[in-house]
Amino acid sequence: MHRYILKRLLMLIPVLLCVAFVIFAIMNVADGDPVYSVASADATPEELDALRKEMGLDGSLLTRYFRYIGKMLKGDLGTSYVSKRDVMKTYMERLPNTLKLASLTMLIAVGMSIPLGIIAAVHQNSLKDTASMVLALLGLSMPNFWLGLLLIIVFSLGLGWFPSGGYTAGLKSLVLPAFTIGAGLAALMTRTTRASMLDVIRQDYLLMARAKGVSERKVIRKHALKNALIPIITVFGVQFSNVLGGSVLAETVFSWPGVGRLVVDAIDQRDIPTVTGALVMTTMLVSIVNLVVDIIYAYVDPRIKAQYTK
Amino acid sequence: MSETEKHILDVKNLVVRYETEDGIVRAINGIDIQLGYKQTLGLVGETGAGKTTAALSILRLVPSPPGVVECDLLHIDGLDILSLPDHKMEEVRGKEVSMIFQDPMTVLNPVFTVGEQIAESLEIHEHLSHKDALQRAESMLELVGIPGSRANEYPHQFSGGMKQRVVIAIALACSPKLLIADEPTTALDVTIQAQVLELMSQLKDKYDTSMIMITHDLGIVAEVCDKVAVMYAGRIVEQGLLEDVFNHTLHPYTEGLFNSLPNVKNRTAMLKPIRGLMPDPTNLPSGCAFAPRCNYATEACLGEPPALRAVSDTHSVACAAYNTPGFHIEKGRDA
Amino acid sequence: MEAVIKQKTISKQYKKRSALGAIWRQLRKNKGAIIGLVLVLFLIIMALISPLIFDYKADITAQNLQERLQSPSAAHWFGTDDMGRDVFARVMYGTRYSLAVGVVAVLIALAVGVTLGAAAGYVGGVFENIIMRVCDIFSSLPSVLLAIAVVSAMGKSTVNLMIAVGIASMAPFVRITRAAVLTVRGEEYVESARAIGMQEGKIVLTHILPNCVSQIIVQATLRVGQAIIAAAQLSFLGLGVPAPAPEWGSMLSAGRSYIRDYSYLTLYPGLAIMLAVLSLNLIGDGLRDALDPKLKR
Repeated sequence: MHRYILKRLLMLIPVLLCVAFVIFAIMNVADGDPVYSVASADATPEELDALRKEMGLDGSLLTRYFRYIGKMLKGDLGTSYVSKRDVMKTYMERLPNTLKLASLTMLIAVGMSIPLGIIAAVHQNSLKDTASMVLALLGLSMPNFWLGLLLIIVFSLGLGWFPSGGYTAGLKSLVLPAFTIGAGLAALMTRTTRASMLDVIRQDYLLMARAKGVSERKVIRKHALKNALIPIITVFGVQFSNVLGGSVLAETVFSWPGVGRLVVDAIDQRDIPTVTGALVMTTMLVSIVNLVVDIIYAYVDPRIKAQYTK
Repeated sequence: MSETEKHILDVKNLVVRYETEDGIVRAINGIDIQLGYKQTLGLVGETGAGKTTAALSILRLVPSPPGVVECDLLHIDGLDILSLPDHKMEEVRGKEVSMIFQDPMTVLNPVFTVGEQIAESLEIHEHLSHKDALQRAESMLELVGIPGSRANEYPHQFSGGMKQRVVIAIALACSPKLLIADEPTTALDVTIQAQVLELMSQLKDKYDTSMIMITHDLGIVAEVCDKVAVMYAGRIVEQGLLEDVFNHTLHPYTEGLFNSLPNVKNRTAMLKPIRGLMPDPTNLPSGCAFAPRCNYATEACLGEPPALRAVSDTHSVACAAYNTPGFHIEKGRDA
Repeated sequence: MEAVIKQKTISKQYKKRSALGAIWRQLRKNKGAIIGLVLVLFLIIMALISPLIFDYKADITAQNLQERLQSPSAAHWFGTDDMGRDVFARVMYGTRYSLAVGVVAVLIALAVGVTLGAAAGYVGGVFENIIMRVCDIFSSLPSVLLAIAVVSAMGKSTVNLMIAVGIASMAPFVRITRAAVLTVRGEEYVESARAIGMQEGKIVLTHILPNCVSQIIVQATLRVGQAIIAAAQLSFLGLGVPAPAPEWGSMLSAGRSYIRDYSYLTLYPGLAIMLAVLSLNLIGDGLRDALDPKLKR
């Protein structure tokens, strides 16, 4: 098992190098020389060249990439064109905010979707099932930022229960943004849970459990759910990147000072080091979460563990 | 002692149908089963005859919907099963009656260790602590011939025959009074089949368990059963002691089953398979369900399904041909 | 007995899946899919007739400050925005942008994704490995962020928005096609096609791709919906269709400033997005059930 984790961690390195290259390439073909956004309007060509050198913009794309990678491995993501601050430091300041938001989002999504999905599957084709599925379909069809706006209208402006933005109200200021991101994820996971449970519910081993005298409740919650969990965890892991993506929108709607907001602002200001750094770090985060998900598999399903340790 | 208490199992007029979108599947159409203590009943018939459904309805495990179970009487060890509330029924399953399922590959839960799966029924019925139950589970494994140390392993680490041993250990963990074995050896290799059957017989004798052996294999019936009931299209067409049914066969269908067996002594003899197929259970013929395939069928067979009639104290048959005095089937004549 | 029941349902489903007409028959029984089809048809008609009803300059983009921020009324069904423009006209006209961006983006993803996936599955080896790893990278980047990066690199325009969203939705098509190719590559009918001297390219087209067409159709339908959302998200962030075009996402972005007092401005464009995506999801779900009875619940 430890060897497997180590192997996966090592495999992460080339992936991250590729990601860095893709992002680096995309950001560096951007039209317009970033030097102009920094230099004063009456700078001479010599001054511009000097500035380029100072900003690390001289040389070909590849040389610049390798220079970037070299620094990145030392934890240096460069300096923001705009704020002149260390990108890594800025990112690390923002990250906890986004992680807080992502955690509550995941919690909300899991808390809503697994019970709903189980109920829908156990009472297949009943009114409860139909209602859950309609709800899930609406959740999937609703753009998250619009849901955020609606939540503000109802719960913030209308009822006054939660603040409409900012981060001063503690947990309260997290609730609406977390729902904004979590609704779509919850919808998707409800559907997955239902489908996965329906697969499991017809299995012979549940009949066997019932024949042993296991109560219906326990048959579903213990015997069925543990088997149905794999696809649910898969969706959960795959969707983590979309939670981070969703946070870009939610952070904008609710003025939440997270990583998403950082990226969008940086793009607006053509602050390439910040954008590149933030995207690379985000990919790393997603990859690590995916690795954790793969490890969780092993604890849920002994057959997968057997494969890993091989 | 009242009439029912002499039997571990007493079933009267059991009817099961599945109401699906495509019509009503008539799985069981009125069967009676009586089984004495320590006896073994062989329930014989082709795939689709309703054997498994019969077993499941005894445990009240027929999935509903689409299944609908009707029954005049269902007593296990004198206990009226039909009137039990669900939580009482859970106490009966695994404790009074256990079931061994057909396919050991699919009945063990892949994400729990075999020890946990055996221990579970002990925790439920004997109220043992998890630790004690796991210990007992290990000794159950030893009992079925698996080293107790393997209790921590998962089903995928066992072979088919080993899995069936685990299933048997689960079924016998709480020493049930009645064991229903649904084709326990069908999914196994022939060599393993014999071992598993031998094990079941031993354990059955050890614990004084009564048993219903569901099978399509007449060889197994001859080996382990005291009584035989032959099912066809959801009805019992012939039942009696092993000796009655095997040596004084009455029903044309039973005869057909015997004729389909290869004869080792006379290898040049042609196999005589029963012609045709089982009728579609959504659309059973109005008369005797076997009539379309029966060599002895007459007009009289097409009216109503024939009722079981007693031929002797122990032997009965459901066949309209016996209305004609002097009727006998070919096999009967040979015997 | 279970087996008999299963057999029945399976044979029933088999009878119905042979031809296009059969898929339609199956789809017709699905209430949700029919509602979805009607809605999509409605949206397409809206998109087609809106330029006939409204003049782009006069009715959609021209400012009319005397009439700004009027609540919904008989004259302005959805009210007017901060520039005094009729929201109903803009929402209706916006259908054109959203549908076009959604469909074109998915067509881009489809064309590139299927080609790459088929090639990866068929060629195998290092080539396959590279493509699949790139796919992994694309799916570990949040698709919104990826699209943002692409748009910001290429500049804001409707075409770039389509390309960005298209690139961000490509990975599933690569995966589906590759998986389908891998499952049938070794099948005997493919071997025999090769044995009779059929060209490799033709084998892929005639023997391999048809096996995943149904999955691709379903995925494409559902993806159009997701692409519409993604496009609206980018426009909401100011990275999509440039103003003053009546794109739903940018209308929401503009309406957001007036959320406290004129919340109707944030209501209608969002409803329009949801309606469009909902209808595509309904059709996609219906198609999946009709095309692949195994998945039907």
